[in-house]
Amino acid sequence: MKLVRILGLASALGLGITAWLVFYWAPLEQAMGFVQKIMYIHVPSVLVCYLAFFISFLASVGYLWKRTEGYDVVALCSAEIGVIFCGITLVTGAIWGKPTWNTYWTWDARLTTTLILFLIFVGYLLLRRFVEFSEQQARFAAIIAIIGFLDIPLIHQAVTWWRTLHQTSTLFSMKPGGAIDDPLKWMLYVAMVAFYLFFAYLLTKRIQLERQERELRRTLAALE
Amino acid sequence: MIRAILAILRKDLTLELRKAENFIAMMFFAVIILLIFSFALPPDNDNHKNLAPGVFWVTFLLSGILGLSKSFALEKDLGCMEALLLAPISRGAIFLGKMLGTLVFLLLMLALLIPLFSLLFYPEALPYFFEVLGLSMVTALGFSSLGTLLSGLTTDVRFKEILLPILLFPLLIPLLLASVEILAGIFAGRGFQGELDWLKLLVGFDLIFLIASYLTFDFVMEL
Repeated sequence: MKLVRILGLASALGLGITAWLVFYWAPLEQAMGFVQKIMYIHVPSVLVCYLAFFISFLASVGYLWKRTEGYDVVALCSAEIGVIFCGITLVTGAIWGKPTWNTYWTWDARLTTTLILFLIFVGYLLLRRFVEFSEQQARFAAIIAIIGFLDIPLIHQAVTWWRTLHQTSTLFSMKPGGAIDDPLKWMLYVAMVAFYLFFAYLLTKRIQLERQERELRRTLAALE
Repeated sequence: MIRAILAILRKDLTLELRKAENFIAMMFFAVIILLIFSFALPPDNDNHKNLAPGVFWVTFLLSGILGLSKSFALEKDLGCMEALLLAPISRGAIFLGKMLGTLVFLLLMLALLIPLFSLLFYPEALPYFFEVLGLSMVTALGFSSLGTLLSGLTTDVRFKEILLPILLFPLLIPLLLASVEILAGIFAGRGFQGELDWLKLLVGFDLIFLIASYLTFDFVMEL
């Protein structure tokens, strides 16, 4: 209980500070201008989304291995949050793409990979919906998460060869010329920390909720 | 192990050959899709040259999934699945037997699909029959590995007819892209030489998902 509250306060504070800094402190990017500010949502969202899917994958492996319900709860909750942030990434990317590339959507490698990832995990959530709540549901979902995760490198390679337009990741590139300016970089780091805190808050809160839900379902089943 | 796999394979083949209803439905469906493509796409041959690889593999995916969804239906209907699971053989053997059964029928379908495809859509495809069949083997292997796993997984699930393609098609995108590119190379007369990278990706896909499906199938088939 306490952890959730602390995380909630910290992420609210972090997001508030980020919003303030983005509009009052971070300088305008030379080439792209004001639209570039959406990067402070776009980039952290995609990083949260990757982390969430990775946690979901690890928890799925853990579930198939140990068969403890806790792993299943984590896998489900993390995948749900991942899908939301994946959606945010796609939408903010489209908003940014219109003024910059002059198109909302383009079949670029990273866009396409993210979209496919989104579809795979939406499928995962649908499967959870369609299978009765049971140990079987947990097993099936874990298999999809594992298979989906294994597919990511292949998808990425395939769509990269297929066509590419997206700028390379500037945040982590070590080249002096390609890297972005210092204040912009620090701004991104702050936004990232805020988003990760927010993710941690959402995840713990959602896990708590899911546990209570399952508890309730069991109690009701026992009463019948 | 090998004997168990072959026994399951033989069972599936015998069942299918006696009635062949599933296969005929699959084949007929493929023809209908080809017809729809011919009607829906502009009829001149220049366009068909560019569209041919994509049309071929989309036809394969759509009719192949029809065959897949039936792969475990029979076992469920007659309670045969329980008997299979009680048999003193590993789950992996069941998977491989089922997978090979699907693979054989997919290849049969593809072997018939190539002439039909050149008849109905792209006449220049027929001279490349053996190259296309060779590519089909690699593609069908990846398709049937993942397909058998997911088909086994969705047999009990509500709305399985819609859930299977929703789960399977996004996962198959690397396979589709690679197959389309290689087929375009074959139709351009370069054989497999032009697209070696894609071929590596395709073989990698097959290996990864053959092993992953083999290993995770244990968890699908728990009583």
